[in-house]
Amino acid sequence: MRGELWFGLILLALCGAVAGLAPVLAPYDPRAFSGQPLERPGPAHPLGTNDVGQDILSELIYGARVSLIVALAAGSGTVLLGLLVGGIAGYAGGWLDQALMRLVDGMMSLPRLPLLILFATFLGSGLPQTIAVISLLFWPTTARIIRAQVQSVRERGYVRMARQFGASPAYVFFRHVLPAIGPLVAYGLVTAAGNAVAMEAGLAFLGLGDPLAKSWGLMMRFALNLPGLFLTDRWLWWLLPPALCVTLLILALTFIGIGLEQNLNPRLVRRWR
Amino acid sequence: MTLTVQDLRVTFPLDGKMGLRAVDGVSFDLAPGTSLGIVGETGAGKTTIARALLGLHPPECVQGSIRLDGRELVGLSEEAWRAIRWRRIALVPQSVGTALNPVYRVGDQIAEPMRHHLGLSLAEAWGRSLEIARRVGLEPRHLRAYPHQLSGGEKQRALLAMALSCAPDVLILDEPTSGQDMLSRARLLDLLDALRREGGMGLLVISHDLAAVARLTEQVAVLYAGQLVEVGPTAEVFQDPRHPYTWGLLHAYPDMATARDLRGIRGTPPDPANPPPGCRFHPRCTQAIDRCRREEPPLREVGGRRVACHLGGLQTLLRAEGLRKTFSVNGGGPEEQVEAVRGATLDIREGEVVALVGETGSGKTTLGQMLVGLLPPDGGRVLLEGRDLTAAKGKERRAMMSRIQLVPQDPFDAVSPRLTVAEIVREPLDIQAIGTPEEREAKVRQALRTVGLPASPDFLARRAHELSGGQLQRVVLARALVLEPKLIVADEPVSMLDPSEQARVINLLKEIQTERGLALLLISHDLALVRKIADRILVMHQGQIVEEGPGSRVVTRPEHERTRMLLEVAPRLG
Repeated sequence: MRGELWFGLILLALCGAVAGLAPVLAPYDPRAFSGQPLERPGPAHPLGTNDVGQDILSELIYGARVSLIVALAAGSGTVLLGLLVGGIAGYAGGWLDQALMRLVDGMMSLPRLPLLILFATFLGSGLPQTIAVISLLFWPTTARIIRAQVQSVRERGYVRMARQFGASPAYVFFRHVLPAIGPLVAYGLVTAAGNAVAMEAGLAFLGLGDPLAKSWGLMMRFALNLPGLFLTDRWLWWLLPPALCVTLLILALTFIGIGLEQNLNPRLVRRWR
Repeated sequence: MTLTVQDLRVTFPLDGKMGLRAVDGVSFDLAPGTSLGIVGETGAGKTTIARALLGLHPPECVQGSIRLDGRELVGLSEEAWRAIRWRRIALVPQSVGTALNPVYRVGDQIAEPMRHHLGLSLAEAWGRSLEIARRVGLEPRHLRAYPHQLSGGEKQRALLAMALSCAPDVLILDEPTSGQDMLSRARLLDLLDALRREGGMGLLVISHDLAAVARLTEQVAVLYAGQLVEVGPTAEVFQDPRHPYTWGLLHAYPDMATARDLRGIRGTPPDPANPPPGCRFHPRCTQAIDRCRREEPPLREVGGRRVACHLGGLQTLLRAEGLRKTFSVNGGGPEEQVEAVRGATLDIREGEVVALVGETGSGKTTLGQMLVGLLPPDGGRVLLEGRDLTAAKGKERRAMMSRIQLVPQDPFDAVSPRLTVAEIVREPLDIQAIGTPEEREAKVRQALRTVGLPASPDFLARRAHELSGGQLQRVVLARALVLEPKLIVADEPVSMLDPSEQARVINLLKEIQTERGLALLLISHDLALVRKIADRILVMHQGQIVEEGPGSRVVTRPEHERTRMLLEVAPRLG
């Protein structure tokens, strides 16, 4: 394993541990009004409180859960859709391939962020909707990568031989194609997850997220909603921590992605010493 | 003077019972001036037939009918037989060394039957002996000599002179050429051939020397385990054998005209005391069906000769008719059509090794892939045992395809890098859902042993990158064998290997082919390699088969210019 991969995995594990142990780690219920509004950091509230008196540290800790759920769900959704479309297009070939690939081209030519906002507005705010919207918009990239790989695997000798032995397409797909594109799927998953975290943060920031599932993006939105946030040093403990968390999570996923990519393609490995 | 043998059976006592049937229902005719050869492996019953024709077996052992000009000889008294031996039917025995009496002069021994059977005086008999000796190429001094003073060839001639002395109607030669060097054998054959042409006698040649039989006889009968399996004109039978046994026998015979390595018939001849049920050849036959195991096939008329085979003789296993395949290259821009295969027609018979040679780009691989069903042909069809493979669907197609297996050129591409040896070899069984997991494991281990690989847990758990090219090609071969195919199409199976490994894998392929009775289509650009094992060679050029013939003929007298070119560039040392 390479350095990037380890770094990313440790960061991600840390994030996962925080999310998993949230009830233990968080000093307060993040929804409880545990202090005075806008308290400065102190022994009772290490990162102070927000404008309605909720503990910011607890919000941050519980926010990790939302971000990770989105990363996992939207990332998997994206990859599953991509795998389905790319796999069918690559394996079947012919007109089906052509039709699916034109759909992919069409979707990739659309500007995504405005579309995201549009979809989110129509579908309403809620975590499942957010996840669905992200999955629906980002699968085409994955589909393309998967299709190319499936096409090349399909023509490999051992896959042709399996067909000659009388194997069904399902057998060939699960026995040979899927294992062959497995690393690619893993890579697709982490990059899609990182993307999903950023997208969710963006949507929440724009007010299109789930107002009840307080993610890091939503925290930033509430922080920025306070008139004159930057007039004092309050942004340091209210805005900066969630922003850093989002950045770190994306960074972790990106590093894992880079590490996996190097495993996929040894030519990308740089010399360390 | 016709000798007619019908349903001759000779049974010997075994453990106090009449158990050992050495000859079982043999029938043939021998007219004056004609010749018949009886060929077969040692122990087939050839000499037993000869001895029966001379009444040398105890009478209770012989059943059936031997008639000479309508007179029944079976059951005659010893007295009556004595009048027949020498005068009517004479034998030149197989063992030259013991047939002559060492204490009498050769001339006396030649004269003796004439004095005994024709009642000639000593002087008359000696006179005729000299004449006969001249005919067989002996000089007067040979007649005055004692047997130990003669060479093997001269003794053979003396025995021949003895057999000819009473001018018999039927002359039986039992292994006339055995134990002789090639030069005296050639002289003897010339002599016998000349005698045959003089006519008058019926000549019965019993031999495993196929070349001698080919030279001396017009008709040939092939004997297997005491039964005739094929009877027909000698030239035709040897040129185009119909019975699988005849085919195997001919391929086991060394022949100056072929460069091919000798091939035995798999298995061994049956124990005459305990012959297998049904067709006696079925345990060694490559095309045996259920019926062969139950019913004995009668000799039946098949295209001008008689063959004892339920299937009417050697079967065509795979037939390709007018196969074509066109590829369009440059998919995006203006398409260019490349005709890879342009109407290729070929036959592969049961148990046959056919080589398909041609230079790179001649369409060999494309043709091979169409034959195994990996590529759908654009035109023409592939028939497997008479059934259309190209039109077959679903389950039927799956079953048919499992009978033909491909061993591709690049073993590294042919196996998944992610699977272990056990998983690779087991894959066809998994796909076709054959047997229980334990049975599959057993088959995998057996297949690995067949190809000379260890079946240890350690080896079974290895992956492709941990094996050498030769080992991996053997793994691929083992995988092709687990479905027990009838035909293996091997596409340049050794071209990626180093020379010593090439030789080992080719020999292995050949060995498996013989043992399992498979047909083998060997696709190669290397004539020097394929001529060692191919029965027939097909030469392909620009998508067509331009030359086809027995391996020996194609290699020694190529007809097509391309074949000559391939021969010229074949590797040669020195």
